[in-house]
Order: sequence, then structure tokens, then C-alpha cells
Amino acid sequence: MAEKKRTILRTDKLKAFYILEMQGTQKIIKAVNDVDMEIYENEIYGIAGESGCGKTTLLKALFNDIVPPLRLVSGKIYYCINWDKEVDVTTLSPEEKRQLRMEYISYIPQGSMSVLNPVLKLKETYKDFIGSHLSGQSQEEIFELARKQIRVLGLPKNILDVYPHQLSGGMRQRVTIALASLLKPRIMIGDEPTTALDVVVQRGVIQMLKMIQENLKNTIILVTHDMGVHANIADRIGIMYAGKIVEEGSTEQIFGQPLHPYTQFLINSLPKFGDKNMRSSVPGNPPSMADLPAGCPFHPRCPHVKEICRQEMPDFCYPDENHRVACWLVGEGKHG
Amino acid sequence: MNFVKRYLIPRLIQYLLVIFLGITAVFIIPRLLPNDPVNTMIGVMQARGQQLEPGAIDGMVTSLKEMYGLEGSWWEQYVAFWGRLFRGDFGVSFFQFPTTVNEMVGRAMPWTLGLLLTATVINWPLGNIVGGLAGYYSRKPWSRVVDTIAMIVRPQPYYIFAFALLLILGYAIPWFPVAGGTEIGRKIAFNWPTIKDILRHSFLPALSLVILGGAINFQTMKLIVQNVNAESFVQYAKLGGVTENRIVGRYVIRNALLPQITGLALSLGQIFSGALITEIVFSYPGLGGLLFNAIVNGDYNLIMGITVFSIVGIATAILILDLLYPLFDPRVRYT
Ligand SMILES: Nc1ncnc2c1ncn2[C@@H]1O[C@H](COP(=O)(O)OP(=O)(O)O)[C@@H](O)[C@H]1O
Ligand code: SF4
Ligand SMILES: [Mg+2]
Repeated sequence: MAEKKRTILRTDKLKAFYILEMQGTQKIIKAVNDVDMEIYENEIYGIAGESGCGKTTLLKALFNDIVPPLRLVSGKIYYCINWDKEVDVTTLSPEEKRQLRMEYISYIPQGSMSVLNPVLKLKETYKDFIGSHLSGQSQEEIFELARKQIRVLGLPKNILDVYPHQLSGGMRQRVTIALASLLKPRIMIGDEPTTALDVVVQRGVIQMLKMIQENLKNTIILVTHDMGVHANIADRIGIMYAGKIVEEGSTEQIFGQPLHPYTQFLINSLPKFGDKNMRSSVPGNPPSMADLPAGCPFHPRCPHVKEICRQEMPDFCYPDENHRVACWLVGEGKHG
Repeated sequence: MNFVKRYLIPRLIQYLLVIFLGITAVFIIPRLLPNDPVNTMIGVMQARGQQLEPGAIDGMVTSLKEMYGLEGSWWEQYVAFWGRLFRGDFGVSFFQFPTTVNEMVGRAMPWTLGLLLTATVINWPLGNIVGGLAGYYSRKPWSRVVDTIAMIVRPQPYYIFAFALLLILGYAIPWFPVAGGTEIGRKIAFNWPTIKDILRHSFLPALSLVILGGAINFQTMKLIVQNVNAESFVQYAKLGGVTENRIVGRYVIRNALLPQITGLALSLGQIFSGALITEIVFSYPGLGGLLFNAIVNGDYNLIMGITVFSIVGIATAILILDLLYPLFDPRVRYT
């Protein structure tokens, strides 16, 4: 981390809530609650946290896909589309947003059965996804582009001529990754792309992601609740709890000196080599994001909880370069 | 050939079995009825004031039994019944003696086919395309307007709706004739005045079927589209920045049409049962009215003839659907 990295995506006090109207009453789910983050070019940024903590919602927001019932309550999302100038993408028109997708920022879904149109051969899907962006290109040119990439990535040659249901889960996942990288976007966002796969296939998919990132030198933002995957692939990791980033650092910092009690739980729940004991998962349940506890949202589950934790949300402090933690245990003069 | 062995043959067997069972039921059910059709028939003739000699009655009983296929044991009757079916012989109608059932069905069929086929060919694409677009753009004002119209039209009992059309466009504004398939006394010939006459007479019945059938297809399609819209392949295409017209046509409507194709096949199959209420309201010639009169008159041969047609019609439509469906949905393969 010697040279200063250039920022490619930045959020500023981002709040994105689900606002549900039910029989006259309003329910507000604070799924992304005051998130400041800065993602650099040429890095793999991992976002970790238990299921339901808001990872998918944060990705939707970063992808600038905020549609009801999700609302942008406050804050901004900036893309560095041209290096010299940041663009607040929340103000773009729908057509401008559409054009950025695939070309500037692309989305890798969880490649489960149903993300590819079941009635279209893959080449038709390619035609739709690529043809929507390279309007000057003929059908043959699009297929040629696709075939070239398929060769490079080592996918089966006939893959364009099959239907999605004829592929294994791992192959479908590879196809979605190939598609996401085809137009060489500056940012690729993946939501649990390895989660539904068995370990061997998972490793292949991780290799593929790494290879693409090394070739394109772009940014991958990867969400998974699996800390093992993060250890394998991420350069930096943000730990999310109840809609907030509670700790962020390089992969070495997060695994070497986890400071937030929640991060420590996540890492301790990983199986270790030669350890036959069942690993403990985080005790208790995550809070409801419609009814968050006051102060630090982790306090009902935290073994180190102090009086102030129940009253006030801690600010970030920076124990090390690029390492930030929001916990009352950490920080000047506030130690317990 | 895997296709023949694993796909075609099982479906053909199923097809033949359905027809066999259906037609067997057509054979058995009238025989389970408590009244004896031969006596009923003779009673009817006598009630009409026909003088029948006792000897003549005996002769008539014999020939009626023969015509009904009621001679011998059930098994013998059953075998003879199939024998006649294979020769395409449904016997003669009793109430329009000695016209054959085939001739009567043959006369009614073109009217029914012409009307119902035209109505289906118009209302199915129309209802589904408009319903598909209205489902996708369900927040747009035009979508709400069409939806409201469909919501008003759809629950109307068909006969009331058809009568209203007749009153408005037949009497109040007499643009269209109110009854019949042609002007009275016109000889059917293949020339422009006849065709024009038939089209004018068929317009209101067809319109009533198109509007109501279209409204049904519209509402069903709209509902399906709203579900398909939430599918992850549609969401994923949006996240991939696929242009909206591609998403509507190739992702949403294309997939939402799959269940509607089944509906289309069924309604095509049902054409062979006619459209009774339409035919009554508009005094239109066709299979529905023919069947209705056959039932009222107890004209068993005619009932059986029409029923066999509609059993074969529906079974064939389902067979064709089964054979063609994999072309629309690649997940269903000929394996
Ligand atoms: N479409 C939605 N409408 C309402 N609530 C939602 C919706 N999607 C997610 N949520 C809620 O937002 C919270 C965060 O969900 P999500 O971002 O999917 O978490 P994660 O991806 O970490 O599992 C959860 O409480 C979830 O119930
Ligand atoms: S702030 Fe307090 S409750 Fe929250 S994690 Fe730190 S010690 Fe635990
Ligand atoms: Mg998720």
C-alpha cells in the first residue's frame, strides 16, 4: 500500500432504506445506514457480514439501482467516470444509468438457475446484453467478441449454442462472470457469486475472477458471507453489521488484527486446519433493521459491552493506516 | 430415435387412450339412462298424431333399434358401434329423418369453424400483447384505462353482453343484421355478395367473442407478466442495461406467453363443441345450436356424433400442443 491509490467509487453518508407502506403504517428498514466508503481502482474489495445485514442492499446502492421500495434517503454515490471528475450518479437519467451498466460497472449475480432467460440460447442472451451497449456492432461481431473471450477464459467452445438449463451451476456462474467482464468495465460487482457452489467449483470461480481482475486491472467489489472466500481473494475487506460498515482494513489487517468484536467472531467461526472442534458462530441473532437498538447496534450480542455502547454509536477511529473501526473499545482515551 | 420412442409414442398412446375412453363413455352413458329411446320416439310420433298400426309399430321398433344400434347384447352393440365409427358412420338423425348425422354436422361445422377460429385468431394475440404491455407498464395511465375497461367487461355474463351489442349495433344503430348467418333465402355460393353477406352477419357474434375473449386473455396475461417481471432473469437483464424493448419482448412477454399457449390449444380444441350461447343470441347456425336441439329432442345419434367430434377435437389439440410445446419452451425437450 505504498502509493496512494486512486478512488473509483465513493459514497458519502449513504442512507438507503426500504420504506414499506402497510395498511397506513410505515415500516422503515434501515438496510444501508450511513455508509462512507471509498473503493480504489485495481483492487478486490470484499464486503462481509451475516445474512440480512444489508450487503445486497449496499451493492444495489453502489450499482446505482435504487428502485422502490428501496429509497435513497440521503447521501451521495460518486463514480470517477473520467479521472479528473467525480459524478454523483444518483442524479443521472434512467438512460444514462442504463448505459453505464456493463460498460462502466457490471453486475455478477448469484448464478443460480434462474438468472439467465430460460427460453434463449446463450448467444441470444449475449446478443441482448452486448447489443444493448454496442449498437454499432453487427450480430457476427458480437459473437466473435464473445467467442474470443470464451477461448481466453477456457469455457466450452459450444457454450453459445446451449440453453441455460443445460449448464451446471458452476458453468452458469462462469457465464455470468464472462458476460460481466466482456465490455471491460472499470468496476465489477458480485453478490455471493460463489455461495451456491461446491468447494471445488468455488475455487475455479475464484481463480477466474482473479484472472479477469489481473487482466483488466479493474475493481471487483465482492459480497459474500464466507470469510474463507474473502481470505482467498480480497485485497481489502469491509465488515458490515446492521447496515453499517463497522470495520475496514486490508485483508492482512482484518485477519491478523481484527479489532471489532463482531469481526473477531466472524473470523473465529472459520474452520482452522487441524482443528476438530466445531467453530462457534456469532452468539445471538442480528437485530431487526426496522427497530435498531440504540447506540452500537452490536451491543446486545457483544461480550465487551460498556455503558456508553448502549447510548452512543461510536465513530470511526484509525488504529493503523487504511484500518478503521467503529467500536468504543478502540480509540484514544476511550479504552475500557 | 429417442424422439419417437420416448416422446412421440407415449403421447400417441395417451391420445388414443383418451379418445377410446371418451367414446366408450359416449356409448355407455345413454344406455344407463332410465328411458328407452325407442319407446320415447314412438311415443313422440304418436303424440304428434301420427296413426300407427300395431304391426307397423313392431316393424318400427325393429328398425329403430337397428338405427340406434340397440340390437343384441351390450358387447355386440359395442363392437358394432366401433365398426360404424371406423367407417365414419354416425347413422341418421331421428328428428330430421333421413338426413345423416354427418351431413348435419358437415353443414354446421363451417359456420362454427369460421366464427370461432376468426374470433380466437384475433382475440388471443390482441389480448396477450395488450395484456403483456399493460402488465409491464402497469403504472402508465393507458395501462390503467385498459385495465379498467377489462375489469368492467370481464365479469358481465356473456349473454347479457352479447344482447347489449345486438341491441346497440343491431337495433339502436342498425349497422348490422340481428339474426342468421346470411340473409334469408340466400344460396351459399363462392361469390363476393355472399361473402359480404356472411361477413356482415358474422360481425356481431365475432365481435362479442373477441371482446370478451380478449378481455380474459388481457387480464390473465397481465397477471402472468407481473409475476414474470419479478423473475431473476428479468431483474438481471435490467442490471445488465439491456434495452427496455428487448426486456419487454424477449424476456417478459416471451416467457409469460408459455402458459397462454396451453390456453390457446384448449380453446382451439373446444371449437368443435360450438358456441351455444353466441349461436342462440345471434340466431347463428353452428354446432352449438345443433347439439342443443339434439339434446332437447333426444336425438341420440346426433348427440353422439357431435360429442365424438368434440372429444377428438380436444384430444387432437392437446396432442398437437404436446408435440409443439418444446419449440416454445426449450426446458421441455423431446427426450
Ligand atoms: N425488497 C425488499 N423489501 C423490503 N425489505 C427488504 C427487501 N430486500 C431486502 N430487505 C431487507 O433488508 C435487509 C437487508 O437485506 P439484504 O441487503 O438482502 O441483506 P444481505 O444481502 O446481507 O443478506 C433485510 O432485513 C431484508 O429483510
Ligand atoms: S461499541 Fe461496545 S457494544 Fe459495540 S462492539 Fe464495541 S464494545 Fe461491543
Ligand atoms: Mg444478499
